[in-house]
Amino acid sequence: MRDPTENDPIAHPLIVPLGDRALLVRFAATLSVAANAAATSFAKKLAQSPPDGVTEIVPSLVSVQINYDPAKISPDRLAAELSLIAWSKLNADGYSGQTWRLPSRFGGEYGPDLEAVAHASDLDVDAFIDAHNATELRVLATGFAPGFVYCGFHGPPLQIPRRSTVRNQVPPGSILFAVGQTAVAATEIPTGWHVIGQTDFRNFDPASSPPTRFRAGDRLIFERTT
Amino acid sequence: MSATILIERVGPMTTVQDAGRIGALIHGVAASGPMDQHGFSTAAQKLPRWGTSGIEFTTSGLGLRLLSGQLEIGCAGGVFDARHNGSPLPWPATCQLVADDYLEITPSSYGNFGYVRFDCELDLPSVMGSLATNTRAGLGGFKGRALEVGDRLQFGRLGKDNQPSNPSSAPKGGDPIHFTWGIHAHLFNHDVRQGFVAGLFEVSEQMDRMGIKLRDQQNVFSSNQNLELVSEPVVPGDVQILGDGTPIVLMRDHQPTGGYPRIATISTPDLNRFAQCRPGTRICFEPITVEHSLAVEFSRRQM
Repeated sequence: MRDPTENDPIAHPLIVPLGDRALLVRFAATLSVAANAAATSFAKKLAQSPPDGVTEIVPSLVSVQINYDPAKISPDRLAAELSLIAWSKLNADGYSGQTWRLPSRFGGEYGPDLEAVAHASDLDVDAFIDAHNATELRVLATGFAPGFVYCGFHGPPLQIPRRSTVRNQVPPGSILFAVGQTAVAATEIPTGWHVIGQTDFRNFDPASSPPTRFRAGDRLIFERTT
Repeated sequence: MSATILIERVGPMTTVQDAGRIGALIHGVAASGPMDQHGFSTAAQKLPRWGTSGIEFTTSGLGLRLLSGQLEIGCAGGVFDARHNGSPLPWPATCQLVADDYLEITPSSYGNFGYVRFDCELDLPSVMGSLATNTRAGLGGFKGRALEVGDRLQFGRLGKDNQPSNPSSAPKGGDPIHFTWGIHAHLFNHDVRQGFVAGLFEVSEQMDRMGIKLRDQQNVFSSNQNLELVSEPVVPGDVQILGDGTPIVLMRDHQPTGGYPRIATISTPDLNRFAQCRPGTRICFEPITVEHSLAVEFSRRQM
């Protein structure tokens, strides 16, 4: 597996149609810190002064979805605007944010896969938790389910594949681990990722404004509680 | 006196919908909204004034009784049989309901989804700016779920006056489904892409508000490799190829992002028509450009 913590420079992004109501600005085909930083910074910059007719800006792991109203702006004209923004220097500040500390319980009933994951990483359980929590994790993107965040990246010993089978339901707050990333579920979801722990923090409350708190670029620190 | 309706007969997957939860994708929530947006707006166009939300029902039909107050209703989408206190109404239908009136809707010749719109606003809490039910996330609509027998829906203020507009004409049923190539189309080889355009597909019974699976009758995607892709944004109409080669068209309650390859995205007007194709309908796909798709859609609106 390619190490996503390598910092490749990102060439100019590809702008492709995502149907007839959205464009996708894609910074890379594979996930890396550089691609995620570029997508995150681009989305922030675009959101500061979106062209007329843009209805939604959705940052993702390596790309940004831009929804538009075709009665207000043509896709060609929007693509031209987007490439101007992408070609201008993206501010490195775009890839920074708040730091969140998440009290978390690991293993046992909260993390049924912890032992297997530690074993696969050649660590005992405590050493695995310490190594996991020592990683400076950044929120890479929200996606998949309400308030669900992908965080990365762990170094080589902590890069293991997904489970071969999918669990139909894991509870809200589940801390998930696979492919060099930690993800946090905010709602009950099915997942093929390893469940290693649980936090009481819920990154989704439809009654709050905004309904989610984490943003791409934020730092997440997991703190072990018993 | 504000109107209240009682759901007396309902099938699964019957939900309250509005134009959708726009702006929620950044929180990991799809917009939801009607499976057939054209049918949903046609139902409102039948009314002198309309509330922003309505009920989406399925081929299981719908029976509702007005318990109190009065309501003017408009129905459209597909072809259904509608009866007002037993008397048949032409489809699309309109009628005035007074207390104790019964509206009975049963499936007829065409379509999976029909809509009832009202001249008043449904009195339901707005969730993230919308009344649309998102069945996957359990948000919005009536308690975040599909309607059930015994549910009572209350109405509030009158809807806004109907602005005369040029509603787009419904595309014809037998036309090919137009699409623009998807964000992973280049990952499928030439033969597979040709097969997708030349092949015959059949709408399967595995259909819900999240997605509609297709039967790939000529096994175009049988040799599909399980590609490892970075998860990327999904839009309604994306034709995604699952690991076992099954094509699935992602619909209004889709996952906001997905990691399976997507060969195509069905054009906006044709996605409404596709949603109405019943299981067993044979469909074929025809590629167009985004520019062409928009030109056709906007010229239709002006006709």
